[in-house]
Amino acid sequence: MRPLNYAILKLFEDGREFDVQGVITQLQDEYSSFRAFKPMAINESLMSAEKNGLLEECNWELDAQGELHVYYKATPYGIEMIHNYIK
Amino acid sequence: MSHSLELKEARLARRGKFFKKGIIIAVVSGMLYGVYVAALYGATGNGFWVDWYGYGDIVTPAGWYDDVLDPTISGFAMSFLIAVLILGALGSGINDFFSAIWMIIKTAVRGKFMDYLRCFKSKPGAVMVICALIGGPIASTAFLIALIMAGPIATPISALCPAIGAIIGRIIFKQKLNFRMACGIAICVVATFMIGSTAFTGFELTDPMFLAGLAVALISALGWGIEGAIAGFGTSVIDYEISISIRQLTSGFFTLFILTPCLFLMAGAAGLYPTMLFEALQGQVLEEGLLASPLIWFLISGLAAGLSFGFWYKGNSMCGAALGMACNGGFSFWCPFFSFLVCGLYLGWAGFDLYPIQWVAAIVMVVGIFLIAVNPLELFKKSKEV
Repeated sequence: MRPLNYAILKLFEDGREFDVQGVITQLQDEYSSFRAFKPMAINESLMSAEKNGLLEECNWELDAQGELHVYYKATPYGIEMIHNYIK
Repeated sequence: MSHSLELKEARLARRGKFFKKGIIIAVVSGMLYGVYVAALYGATGNGFWVDWYGYGDIVTPAGWYDDVLDPTISGFAMSFLIAVLILGALGSGINDFFSAIWMIIKTAVRGKFMDYLRCFKSKPGAVMVICALIGGPIASTAFLIALIMAGPIATPISALCPAIGAIIGRIIFKQKLNFRMACGIAICVVATFMIGSTAFTGFELTDPMFLAGLAVALISALGWGIEGAIAGFGTSVIDYEISISIRQLTSGFFTLFILTPCLFLMAGAAGLYPTMLFEALQGQVLEEGLLASPLIWFLISGLAAGLSFGFWYKGNSMCGAALGMACNGGFSFWCPFFSFLVCGLYLGWAGFDLYPIQWVAAIVMVVGIFLIAVNPLELFKKSKEV
């Protein structure tokens, strides 16, 4: 089993796009018991990865409740880093 | 409001919230660093440390090493240097080791202990271990040694680390560093020197001990610059609480159980290591109360150091190395500030006064940080639009 942050980044390795809710859906079977498996913490992980050039925003939308959804995908540099550093 | 405008504002608000949180975390990391240093003064100003440091007189120290070190090995100068190294490493090692215990407890309470073990065995974990060795045993010990050899001027020299970190962040991680940000960093460095300027007296530029102290302080700046840039980036891969637990355990273990015994061995006094390690935590608690115990002070300094370094990593990962380290660089003000509060006001020790220039410098530093974070021209434009 990978550490939670590694698992989040690993989702993006093959060029797929996810928002926070998408990450939760993908990982909830394995990680839902983790105390850090919360939307706010996942959102911060994604934004930090973006700030450091691993991910980039690729789409965004407001849902019916006026909630913002930002979708990310890995940059070419991010894909290389994830591939090399996260097994 | 149109849908696209609402969407744009929601995105801006989200980014703004993240940015502000990063800045607050980075500033708090600098404040906690001040608490850590003040508590470290408390620890090394009590118990056996008082005798070992000879009441802070670095020119004619108490001479404990004269009795125990073999002068035929390397002569007085080397014995003195090793004595300084031993005390620096001992203080730094105990602090980081206690800090590691605190941070591992915090990691466990937050339900991340198993992730901590998993990360330790991974490639990014190995990078964190290397950062910890550069920033811990090398840079932190160098800082303590520089403080002893060159006095308080070591603090502003070592606070050059934001500039070094920003350059490394720019070169290795392609982080943004434009002319405006470089000016902001330069202002922060000037402010740091203003803070340290109160210490720019009472030394001779020809004194080899003083000059060597300055060189050692530069090593600490370089070490922290490298650590801040690389570990800040690493925190985008590893959770920051896990990062800092790895950092403090590596640093504490290496400094206390490898570096320090080696220094004792070099001094020809290996047998003295367990005794001094034990004595380093002892104080006249029954006679003078809990605060006479270095152990209590090390527990406080360890906690503050762990929180400070953790926030430093997190702040750097949220703001980028240039801004994160500039905000953290406020420690050059927070160190004398908290040392004044704790050692000067509370404990009543002499030599911890705050000077008006240090307050002025703190304001200058805020201007520098502001310049790195925000483009004043854009603010001006916005106010005109309103």
